Amino acid sequence: MREPTSVTSAIEPRSTPTGLAVEATQLVKHYRGKGGDIEAVRGVDLAVPAATVFGFLGPNGAGKSTTVRMLTTLMSITSGSAHVAGIDVADDPDAVRRKIGVALQEAGLDPRQSGRELLILQCRLFGMTAREAAGRAEDLLELVELTDAADRLVKGYSGGMKRRLDLATALVHAPEVLFLDEPTTGLDPASRLTIWDEVRRINAQGTTVFLTTQYLEEADQLCDAIAIIDAGTIVREGTPAQLKDELRERRGLAARPSLDDVFLDATGRTRERAAGEVQEVRS
Amino acid sequence: MSDAVFSAVDVRDRANRPVNGLVVLGQRALRESLRTLDALLPAVFIPLFFLVVNIGQAGRIFPAGDTEFLNGQGYGAFQLPASLLLAGSFGAAALYLVEEIEGGYFDKLRATPVSRMSIVLGRLYAEGVRSVVISTAMVVIGMLFGVRIESGFAGYLVLVAMIALWAVAFSGFMQLIALKSRSAAATQAGSMVFFPLLFLTPNFVPRNLLTRPMEIAATLNPVTYVMEAARSLILDGFDGAALAKGFAVVGAALVLMLALSVRMINNYD
Repeated sequence: MREPTSVTSAIEPRSTPTGLAVEATQLVKHYRGKGGDIEAVRGVDLAVPAATVFGFLGPNGAGKSTTVRMLTTLMSITSGSAHVAGIDVADDPDAVRRKIGVALQEAGLDPRQSGRELLILQCRLFGMTAREAAGRAEDLLELVELTDAADRLVKGYSGGMKRRLDLATALVHAPEVLFLDEPTTGLDPASRLTIWDEVRRINAQGTTVFLTTQYLEEADQLCDAIAIIDAGTIVREGTPAQLKDELRERRGLAARPSLDDVFLDATGRTRERAAGEVQEVRS
Repeated sequence: MSDAVFSAVDVRDRANRPVNGLVVLGQRALRESLRTLDALLPAVFIPLFFLVVNIGQAGRIFPAGDTEFLNGQGYGAFQLPASLLLAGSFGAAALYLVEEIEGGYFDKLRATPVSRMSIVLGRLYAEGVRSVVISTAMVVIGMLFGVRIESGFAGYLVLVAMIALWAVAFSGFMQLIALKSRSAAATQAGSMVFFPLLFLTPNFVPRNLLTRPMEIAATLNPVTYVMEAARSLILDGFDGAALAKGFAVVGAALVLMLALSVRMINNYD
């Protein structure tokens, strides 16, 4: 096997003074929508320790993606503050962008480029020379097991291959914090397990993973801690075990509940609640 | 795969090295153009179609020897600038951009430390190159049918440069619609707003031969001056006044487009 690309630079330690990779205080986002002012996020507080996998759960339209878009500098913050990798998101978004990797919903990729071309392009956008970018792309293609498909156009990739390539593009600069917005939505079980393995491996190297998902099993499997958001506010947070134990004690249950039970309890989504009642908030 | 890939590479703080996002993204857009040659068809076929049809309809009305404004050339020489401008207005940049917005890749680019403007300008760079290639092809086709560039090779270079700058400005305005609407349908509809400007011009006869209302409309239409500048290079040689007006219009359009693009991309939420 070839040696991984060696690019050295003066880097800062991954831990921030607070030990938190993501910190949000009373984060608020208002939109002007067709029906008037929409309050998509209503005072969210987050504290994600460095080098952990953090799960951010919630039903459709709860404010997950909007929160992620604010934390990743893609959307302005109406009020409140957010720090990612110790940097104020509003004050220095460019510095934040150098520290984060982002894989948003639906694997945003250029379908008319090959996997290799896309990775090289992404590397160049992070300041690598053409030679460094080529080497780095090779390493990442190997990492996500796309070497054989590297020179095929992305439009011919399967859903799972696109997700893996998207994940690789988010890793080109060895980010301190990796944001994954519903990374396994729409994938078959085998592809989902592959992504889970990659997330574990990435986290094992010290990268903080901020993961939004609608799959509670995924959160249970991967996350050190989770927060559940509903209607723009955090309604539960803690480790999966803590949240299950809290529900068991509060309800006096004989058996330990599942994370699904915690989710339903936190969001009030029971059989009595009409599905159409949950309003979609477009990010 | 070795886990060393995570520790061996670290470029997180190398962004202070100059990154030429414009070149990198421009190269990508050029590669994309080469892979979607079918997208070039409207930009070549429709202007050539108009050129042939217009010459066929008016060529005998304006014979080469008896028509003063043709300076001894055929009617095709008079029509060629209109077709070049039309070809320059068939850019695909805005549609590719809106496709990227809808598909999520635009956000992927915005999440990198590359300058916001280079995301917009990368595609326009490719539009400029594309326009040079198409304009050259059309000039060559025109020459095969007897068109002469009165200003010579230098005039050809100026002509192609002006049309390319026009193509960049026009595509830039279309990209603004794409950024604002984030919808392919709205972007395509937006081009219809600009298209009439290409026809409220002296594209069949010089301005002084137009009806009074049409002459007023053409005089107020900035595209007229680009067309007249291009025409002067083909029919008259180097006409400083016409060229100055033409480049002033193209320059103003570029400045306005860039200023609006900076504002739009910096406030994109």
